[in-house]
Amino acid sequence: MHISEGVLSAPVLVTGAAVTAGFTWLGLKRIDYDQMVHVAILASAFFVASLIHVNIGPSSVHLILNGVVGLLLGMAAFPAILTALVLQALLFQYGGLTALGVNAIIMALPAVMVHYLFGAMVGKSAAMTFTAGFLSGLVSVLLSCILLGASLWATDAQFLKTSLAIITAHVPVMIVEGIVTGFCISFLVRVYPEILFKGNRR
Amino acid sequence: MTPIVELKQICFTYPGAEKPVLDHLDLTLNPGDRIGLMAPNGSGKTTLLHTIMGLCRPQSGSIRLFGAPMREEKQFSPVRPRLGLLFQDSDDQLFCPTVLDDVAFGPLNLGASRQGARQTARQVLERLGIAGFENRVTHRLSGGQKRLVALAAVLAMSPEMLLLDEPTSGLDTQVKQTLSDILTGLDISYFIISHEFDFIDTVTDRIFSMEKGRILSDEQIHVHAHEHVHKHGQHPHHHK
Amino acid sequence: MDNPFESGTSFLHGLDPRIRIMCAVFLSFAAALSHYPQVAGAYLILGMGLVRLGRISWQNLKPRVKPLLWFLVMIWIFLPLTFSQEIIANIGGLNLSMAGIRLSIMITLKSLAIVLMFTALIATMPMASLGKAMHQLHVPDKLVFLLLMTYRYVFVIQEEYLRLLRAARFRGFSPGTNLHSYRTYAYLAGMLFVRASMRARRVHQAMLCRGFDRRFYTLDVYSPNRWNLLFFIAMLGAGFGITLIDMLWMYS
Repeated sequence: MHISEGVLSAPVLVTGAAVTAGFTWLGLKRIDYDQMVHVAILASAFFVASLIHVNIGPSSVHLILNGVVGLLLGMAAFPAILTALVLQALLFQYGGLTALGVNAIIMALPAVMVHYLFGAMVGKSAAMTFTAGFLSGLVSVLLSCILLGASLWATDAQFLKTSLAIITAHVPVMIVEGIVTGFCISFLVRVYPEILFKGNRR
Repeated sequence: MTPIVELKQICFTYPGAEKPVLDHLDLTLNPGDRIGLMAPNGSGKTTLLHTIMGLCRPQSGSIRLFGAPMREEKQFSPVRPRLGLLFQDSDDQLFCPTVLDDVAFGPLNLGASRQGARQTARQVLERLGIAGFENRVTHRLSGGQKRLVALAAVLAMSPEMLLLDEPTSGLDTQVKQTLSDILTGLDISYFIISHEFDFIDTVTDRIFSMEKGRILSDEQIHVHAHEHVHKHGQHPHHHK
Repeated sequence: MDNPFESGTSFLHGLDPRIRIMCAVFLSFAAALSHYPQVAGAYLILGMGLVRLGRISWQNLKPRVKPLLWFLVMIWIFLPLTFSQEIIANIGGLNLSMAGIRLSIMITLKSLAIVLMFTALIATMPMASLGKAMHQLHVPDKLVFLLLMTYRYVFVIQEEYLRLLRAARFRGFSPGTNLHSYRTYAYLAGMLFVRASMRARRVHQAMLCRGFDRRFYTLDVYSPNRWNLLFFIAMLGAGFGITLIDMLWMYS
């Protein structure tokens, strides 16, 4: 879910860059070099995993998985997702420099938010874990769409209809993302629960 | 002569496991030793190496490296580069963008200047016959090439002893031969874990084994060949 | 997933990476903030020129530009038909907005210009150089470390993923729109994270074994090239010149 270069207005780009810089600084401050390796290699996994595409009816959609990354890394998700976006720009040309700040907010802010919203539910019981995962997946995509729509609308109020169309079009994606995240987190809790405590301080 | 590694009565059990992986284990490695360790999978060989390096702490027992007792991280930290540990999976060990960066990583951490580190790195690559790899990207190398670069990265720190964890796994005969030649040609002690008898036999003087969490030294074990039968035995053939 | 432009012998490949990064940043923003199609067009021409200078073939460029083209198609469908200002016609119940058309033109020119400039200037260097250049440009150490380390393991993890997927396929996995498929993909993704975490532990241990003292070092290698300064000035000049025209038109 990227906004391409050349779409957003100057104030939006600058705000995006500033906010991203702030959150990245916060995220990096909390991680020392020892944890940094963990964050980096998880960011690699996030990058590769987001290339997985699943079928929704006749079309196939890339997994986003920022909910999973948020639950695993907390605030550290910001630099991790930022790095993944930079790599995407370098390897695939999705996005570029100018919209990097805004795109990072769109992807990473929901990730961090679901960590604080649903993180505590994880591990309490199988049902709660799946629910936490499902909600994280759904809400993170929803928030990403809202942020994306908001950036467009802030650029030009006439974007409103387009923004609403984007949000509605993503509803099936939200549900699928929720399901996948639910299963994924349940899997992690069963197979390797330590991973939930490595990237953040809880 | 101070032993390089001295483990006494080491006990280590993984959290949640029933039986200890290392059970009152004793091991002494002296300067000049070239010892191999052959033991079945799951016998705790890698755990042993990690314990020597202080990457996992035993529940009881004592460790001395270079004569000094090792109990805390800050005691292990400065000593680690003096023991060159070669990991089983080279990808875990090559984490810098280019080969030169990786080989220079050790020297830089040990306080060398950029110029000095670069020079040391080049010299080591030259010594192993891979001088042309300087600017290659590590993740694109073949398994054998990665192994050699990892070895270079470890040798660049001028360790006093090498600890090698399955150095020949995944390598073809030619690279194994190169590795064998390099090791025997080096003036350094080493402790090698390997499955491959031929390789270990060539490069080491003594072979140990591990059983029930303890080391069995060469007097206690016996390596022997088995006779077997199969069809077409009279034609030239080769067992791996 | 490799970068085909990384190594090359063009004029651009030989320039100092720091200069290229600074030019890319400056020109991208200048192009993104232009107000007139002629100005954006000028950046597009500049972008095409840089692509030429970097000897980047159309073959290699196509896969990069394709997703952008799809995006632009969506823009052209949505904007002229949903924008509310300057309605010029009505097609079967939908209003056609000139403001929408104008913005679509601008977005098309700008995004293409930026993609071309970025590819020519930044994608033409290996990650190792990019990392070093960023470090020399005083980008925070932790961030550069993060970028280099993440990049390093992307390929390893991708191989792991392909192996896992192949194993699933050999057991008859056939993806579809159903719960079983989603769960399988969830487990695959989960496995990637588990392996990544376990590998991270081993890499960290390897770093400790080589005396890692929590500081970031690079081997600075500077490639002297007398064109560096000239190129830099030329790009700055072009950028400022075009921006100046843009601003003059805006305020006239």
